[in-house]
Amino acid sequence: MSSSYHNCNGVSRRDFIQLGLSSLVGLGMTDLMRLQAATPNAGKVKPGDMRCVIIWLDGGPSHYETFDPKPDAPSEIRGEFKPIKTNVPGIEYCEILPHLAKIADKSCVIRSICHNQNNHGAGNHYMMTGLPTPMPVNCGANASFHPSMGSVVSYFRGQPNKMPAYFALPKKARSGGPHMLGAEHAPFVIGGDPNREGFKVRDVVLPTGISQGRATTRRRLKDALDRMLRMNDKMAQDPAVDFDSYYEQGFDLISSREAQAAFDITLETDATRDKYGRNALAQRFLLARRLLEVGVPFINIYYGGWDHHVDIFKSLKNKKVPDLDQGLAAFISDLDDRGLLESTLVITMGEFGRTPKINERGGRDHWSSAMSVHIAGGGVPPGQVVGATDIKGYYASDNIYTPQDLVASVYAKMGIDPFQHLHTETGKPVQLVYDAKLIKELF
Amino acid sequence: MRRLLMLVSTLILFASLLAAGSAPAGDAIESIQIHPPRLGSLVIGTSHGIVVTARTRSDFLMDKTGEVECRVINTAVAAIDDSGTVRALAEGETRLVVRYQDFSTSVAIKVVPAAFKSLSFKNDILPVLSRAGCNAGECHANASGQAGFKLSVFAFDKKSDFREIVKDARGRRVFPADPQRSLILLKPTQSIEHGGGKRFEKDSDFYRTLETWIRNGMAYENPEEPELVAIDAYPKEGRYAQGARQRLVVQASYSDGTVRDVTELSGFSSEAKEIATADASGRITLGRHSGEGTVVARYMGLVAVSLATIPPEVRIPEEFYHVLPIENDIDRLVYLRYRKLGILPSDLCDDSTFLRRATLDVVGALPTVDEALAFAADKDPEKRHKLIDHLLKDPRYADFWATKWGDLIRPNPARVGVKSVRVFDLWIRRSLRENKPYDQFVREIITAQGTTHRDGPSVLFRDRRKPEDVTTLISRIFLGVRMECAKCHHHPNEKWSQKDFYQLAAFFGEVGRKGKGISPPISGSTEFIFHKPGGKVKHPVSGEVMKPTPLAGEALDIEPGVDPREKLADWMADPDNPYFAPAIVNRIWSELMGRGIVDPVDDFRASNPPTNPELLEWISRDFIAHDYDLKHLIRRIVQSRTYQLSSEPGKTNIGDTRNFARSYRRRLRAEVLLDAVSDLTEVPEVFAGLPLGSRAIETWSNNIGSEFLDAFGRPDSSEDCTCDRDPSSSLVQALHLMNSDRIQSKIAHEKGRVARLVGDEDMSMKDIINEVYLAAYSRPPAPEELEIAAEILFDAPGLTRKTAAEDIMWALINSAEFVFNH
Repeated sequence: MSSSYHNCNGVSRRDFIQLGLSSLVGLGMTDLMRLQAATPNAGKVKPGDMRCVIIWLDGGPSHYETFDPKPDAPSEIRGEFKPIKTNVPGIEYCEILPHLAKIADKSCVIRSICHNQNNHGAGNHYMMTGLPTPMPVNCGANASFHPSMGSVVSYFRGQPNKMPAYFALPKKARSGGPHMLGAEHAPFVIGGDPNREGFKVRDVVLPTGISQGRATTRRRLKDALDRMLRMNDKMAQDPAVDFDSYYEQGFDLISSREAQAAFDITLETDATRDKYGRNALAQRFLLARRLLEVGVPFINIYYGGWDHHVDIFKSLKNKKVPDLDQGLAAFISDLDDRGLLESTLVITMGEFGRTPKINERGGRDHWSSAMSVHIAGGGVPPGQVVGATDIKGYYASDNIYTPQDLVASVYAKMGIDPFQHLHTETGKPVQLVYDAKLIKELF
Repeated sequence: MRRLLMLVSTLILFASLLAAGSAPAGDAIESIQIHPPRLGSLVIGTSHGIVVTARTRSDFLMDKTGEVECRVINTAVAAIDDSGTVRALAEGETRLVVRYQDFSTSVAIKVVPAAFKSLSFKNDILPVLSRAGCNAGECHANASGQAGFKLSVFAFDKKSDFREIVKDARGRRVFPADPQRSLILLKPTQSIEHGGGKRFEKDSDFYRTLETWIRNGMAYENPEEPELVAIDAYPKEGRYAQGARQRLVVQASYSDGTVRDVTELSGFSSEAKEIATADASGRITLGRHSGEGTVVARYMGLVAVSLATIPPEVRIPEEFYHVLPIENDIDRLVYLRYRKLGILPSDLCDDSTFLRRATLDVVGALPTVDEALAFAADKDPEKRHKLIDHLLKDPRYADFWATKWGDLIRPNPARVGVKSVRVFDLWIRRSLRENKPYDQFVREIITAQGTTHRDGPSVLFRDRRKPEDVTTLISRIFLGVRMECAKCHHHPNEKWSQKDFYQLAAFFGEVGRKGKGISPPISGSTEFIFHKPGGKVKHPVSGEVMKPTPLAGEALDIEPGVDPREKLADWMADPDNPYFAPAIVNRIWSELMGRGIVDPVDDFRASNPPTNPELLEWISRDFIAHDYDLKHLIRRIVQSRTYQLSSEPGKTNIGDTRNFARSYRRRLRAEVLLDAVSDLTEVPEVFAGLPLGSRAIETWSNNIGSEFLDAFGRPDSSEDCTCDRDPSSSLVQALHLMNSDRIQSKIAHEKGRVARLVGDEDMSMKDIINEVYLAAYSRPPAPEELEIAAEILFDAPGLTRKTAAEDIMWALINSAEFVFNH
């Protein structure tokens, strides 16, 4: 009998291992090479210099009220808002995004990403890692079955300028962890509100009143007196070995001048801070820009609260959207002005879209059959809309892409072969992304 | 002891010459065995594979299936071909005889006629579709199906799957007039385009099975068709040489006594891949590590395991085990595992390590300097036992263990209200302080009634408002079984079905609520929880009203007027309940030992077996025999020599992470580490809303702000279940201990320990360092540590007594010996 367990593309994981880059996988790579060769921008930014910022709208933003308005749908679907024209003829956003509408010529919207993981835990995992959870998880779950994009980038890029390669502001997304790559590729979390007076990135500078000289003495004392036996054999799974690696990284970080400056948002002018907006999210964008400037390759800005089962219109218009609209538009424009946009992919998305029919509580529920993803920079041809949903916005209907297609495209943009294998500690091969095709419109 | 150690190292040198890559030379075969042990009843026309193993003198298994001679005595009844497949030909009984070299053995074969003629959807077709992956979550078992064709995940809704294939899509999926034109044959063979690719070949048994079924009229089931009862994977267990390979055979048993070989239709996976991996056809390849691993076979919602052990290369003579001291039966049972795996335990830890470890584990605090000095000076040979008794009477015991219960059952204050959470928390602390028997503790939670502003446990029912939501929690916490999956479909790794889940949920069908419900984020009001007869829990697919039924038990007839929750509590507290005591015993064991006997602690299932079942059984029995006394349980474990082992490994146990042959290091929990820093510096932490001088283990809400506690993994109470704390270290933690202004201000505090010591003119620098060491590590510094410290400090610019003492304290806080319980 010749059958064995297969994935949806009919290729078993065993085949992947045995055949390496053959058949379907090979197609992916050929696509990649062909696309890179055909892209006029190829060579302008080296993939190894590409950076990525994800603005993670946890909870799942409505596609109707953001980038995929449906004015022709019945009123119980189209909602309270109208579309507005953007600065690209023929492209319309929802009216509550006036700032972003003015930079549509710098942006690309994918309206046709969809998947089948309709709860937060699973949707988070799928969008953040490119892999659906192999077993069902609950809505509240912080699932980790596969490394997240940020951890993968950290793994391949290493630490730029002694900085962690992967930052999360102000908290780690649910599935934003490293999984088998190990805690060293977990995001460095910058908590706190950078809009607040006296904000500092805590713990990355020496404690108040401790001179450099004393810090050196302390470190010498620690190195000499921390004498508990370490079991360096991996088999022993000695947690003290991991503990040491974090100290090493910590000492590197506080001795790097460049890193220290990047954390200091007060070095920005008031004018710039005002332009982004005087709120926590906007100032996180600004902090992210400073981190990008010192070479941090991956930043995840968590901006939750999009699970609008109740009263969606008021919540979006009054609470969630204005800060995002202004801050994101300012961020993208600022990156562009500084010549950083070409080398920075700015992706805004959540775990799924929301139900077409407005429920009796004036909200929309989870809906993974359609969602919109906003992308700017990173050499993505701007001013375009990729794919479409049907006339009522139920389903992605045209040029449909999956989360793994998006994740694979991000890796390809960043010079990381999405179809390569990593190995777990026990030697089990794991492919970065399974069953994906690159989103050709992004190249 | 030292002589024993020398003997071991000599032995290891010697034994390494005899190292066993394969079974050791001279390890002669002693017997052979046929798997499965019975071939009956086989139905005429079916085939059944066999596997033959040889067993050596030192108890290794070797796969000899391809090398044996096989013969069926009565060839009219059955035949066997070269590949080792038995075919059932005619009704009757006979024997299969197998020879290998000079060994022979036999197994009975019984063949019965088929009770029915046609293949059935239930027993023949669904297994093929499952094995081909059609009903995987990524494929047609998507929430919305795939390409208009929807199957249930892992075939949990067989009837709906049948309808979908036979009745829907205007019958195009099956085409009885010309079966080969059926979509369910054209698509998976990719004769026409299939998004899921090629699933099987046209020339395959899968194809033929489907085709025959369509041709014969597509029965859902045959009259009186038997039910699948169990599956078994053979060999069920074995010791193998490193790198060995072993075929498995999976046998399904049906309610009419017939069996089938379902190896080809089963899925395989392995839990410990460094020990054993299994390929798609059920061949195990053993790894290059010694240890134990489980290979899991899955077929139609049932699981079977094959346990593989790889003994270490060096074998240790029996005498070594005979001389190991035994404090109680825990040690005896743990030693049996060492012997089986060929490992030796680490030495007993020294007194200061024991004092620090036990104090941290039982009351969540560091020993004081005085306690460290007194314990070192105490000459009483029973002093470790005395310490345990003393610790169990310490008032901090209740607060410390309450933080752990808080992780498990404490709701989010933003959801149920601050006062409710506080009331529940106080009840937990009081229960632990009174050492309430555990069965009673759980009964009071499960059967809770009253108002949520007065009767603590009732808050659970304010938080968990649906029977299903109570069920996922209590099954996980109190029964050690994760049933979240079964809420929506058959649990893919376990026997739990949706029906099992909702029958358990039915115990919570009569919980009534009166008053103002939850209204996040304040939820300030109170609610009254009571028994409200008449509530029903229905199966979400069939709509059938569920009768309260314990896990794997019979439905209960509950007289009207009795709260079903009382009956659930009765069932749990029955001394023969196989889930209740082991779940808590395993959890407490894990808290004290760093790993569960079943791990993760709340994931008991056939495919995740305990590493030492006898040990778990013995402690559970002992716990029940002592009236569910939690303090007794803790005392038993802490008194064992196993608990008291050093964390420093020897040669044979460095790779041991599952059998407790050394103490496993654990980073201190967030609250404990913060209290340790406060105690060491003698500067208490201040918590919003708690009286001055409160310890972190007294915090009762995760919303009480603390950067320290968040950095060290205190769970976020907004998460669904905060059952698992991340025990790992991180860069954030390192940076916090190094650079936090708050910690620095504690070290340098004018009323802190350093200030007190340096202000005492009678204290020499050596005395000061001595005390800081005792406070942080419960041991004095070694002479060379004093020398090292003196040398570094001597060089330091701007040195004062104060800066020197502060810097030493900083260095100790940032050391592994401080941050870990070791």
